[in-house]
Amino acid sequence: MAERAHQTGFFTRWNQARRADGLALRRALPDRLLPLLVAAMAVLAALALAGATGAQILSARWSSGAAAMLTVQVPDPDAPTAAKTPTTPLTRSDAVLAALADTPGAARVHRLDKAELDALLAPWLGRDNDFALTLPAIIELHLATGPIEDAGALARRLAAIAPGTLVERNAEWGARLGRLADSLHSCALLAVAIVAGIAVVLIMATTRAGLAARRMPIELIHAMGATDGYIAGRFARRTALLAFIGGLAGSVLALPLLVLLSHVAAPFATAAPLPPSAAMAAADWATRAHMLLDTLPPPLVATLLALAPAAALIGWLTTQATVRAWLRTLP
Amino acid sequence: MIRLRDVGFRYDAPGASGASAPIALRQISFAVPQGGFRWLLGPSGAGKSSLLRLLALGARPTAGTLEILGSNIGHASRAALARLRRRIGIVHQDFRLLPDLPVFDNIALPLRLQRRPEDEVRDEVHAILDWVGLASRATALPPQLSGGEQQRVAIARAVIHRPALMLADEPTNALDELQANRLMELFRDLSGLGTTILVATHNESLIRRYPAHELELAQGRLVRDG
Repeated sequence: MAERAHQTGFFTRWNQARRADGLALRRALPDRLLPLLVAAMAVLAALALAGATGAQILSARWSSGAAAMLTVQVPDPDAPTAAKTPTTPLTRSDAVLAALADTPGAARVHRLDKAELDALLAPWLGRDNDFALTLPAIIELHLATGPIEDAGALARRLAAIAPGTLVERNAEWGARLGRLADSLHSCALLAVAIVAGIAVVLIMATTRAGLAARRMPIELIHAMGATDGYIAGRFARRTALLAFIGGLAGSVLALPLLVLLSHVAAPFATAAPLPPSAAMAAADWATRAHMLLDTLPPPLVATLLALAPAAALIGWLTTQATVRAWLRTLP
Repeated sequence: MIRLRDVGFRYDAPGASGASAPIALRQISFAVPQGGFRWLLGPSGAGKSSLLRLLALGARPTAGTLEILGSNIGHASRAALARLRRRIGIVHQDFRLLPDLPVFDNIALPLRLQRRPEDEVRDEVHAILDWVGLASRATALPPQLSGGEQQRVAIARAVIHRPALMLADEPTNALDELQANRLMELFRDLSGLGTTILVATHNESLIRRYPAHELELAQGRLVRDG
């Protein structure tokens, strides 16, 4: 206890000594404007990072998911196949299923059942339709080893078994969507870089204003032997603290927006959907917060948590550089 | 000790550079041994403040060689200059007290920049406040003090860390004769302890009362050393 009291006393005196060097940083760098502006920057950065993360997830999903699947349409699926079979005659769809199962790299071959077909067509034709025309069989070929090497050869082989069979090469549009998602990802990262750049300029201007406001005490303690590192460190610690507070506030402000965005994007990505409102209402605040956070993709949660430390680091580095450059004007 | 060899100094005037910049000092050469005391004399504009500025490491000479406390200032790094500055005490003509710091903290500045323990700072500051007769004004802010009190605070701040080099520009301007005499006694004591001291003044009666080696400047040149 005595040691703790001694430590408290030491740190109190140490802080008092640091405050009493005449720099009066609370006046040089006021504690309202900078955190407010950094908070606004942090919200923008969080939104841009959300965009970047979302685009990255979509890119990965579209590129790998679509590339690893072929969709095959077999018209008139129940007609007998044109191919010669050693035993009982096969239908066209069964023959295509068998051929696909033998395809090198095939992980799973799945023919959509009626319910799945109805769900697929529902957006265009509505539900509960009883079609007079025979629908083609839709078969999904899931590949274990990425895109098939020669989709054209496969299409020709299937056409020989069941003429008129179409092979949709998902890899092509998947790759296009992947490139689009990559572009969006790059744009989002560029937006983050621009926001960071604006933050640097803002902190630089604020620091310069602070230096101008405290020129006399800085010159005095410099003349008494204060090093550039000491003066720059005092300013940088203050700016880092203010930027951290701003970054933290911005992250908290951005959180509801990000949860909402994740909820909207959930069907297209791997994030969990928003929990039902009844379950939310029944939970206590900690569980509710946990449920909401679960809807965010882990990389986004990580970047969100890194926002305040990143703001502090940008503030510290920018102020160090600005103050040291300014001090170079002194002998 | 300090040593100057053909030291020259030009100010960086706006719009002037190189040879067209105004010359403040020309070919100044003298030396002061450790513990030496010098009066620095000369009319206004003779270059006394410029010389004190160079000696206080507020600028580097534009010509010649300047050695302070064993370091060649022309070649010293910024970190080395900072270390040297901590061994110099300065009494400015305009006091240069920080208006928003209490008297105690103004005086404690040199010790805190040397990272002395806070207990030691407190003891040293209270001792010197007693010596300058301002013990009751420790918590006052400089604008609340008279000119003489401010000058005593400036003197206390300049000597509290027992500097190796003491520079004073008109340190007795705002002091009465008794206070001025006490200050000169302090300078004498410091000099005896090894502090090198230069005092710029126009106070002829003070010079008569405390005769010492004189350096006289005129138009930026050293015209007398003796």
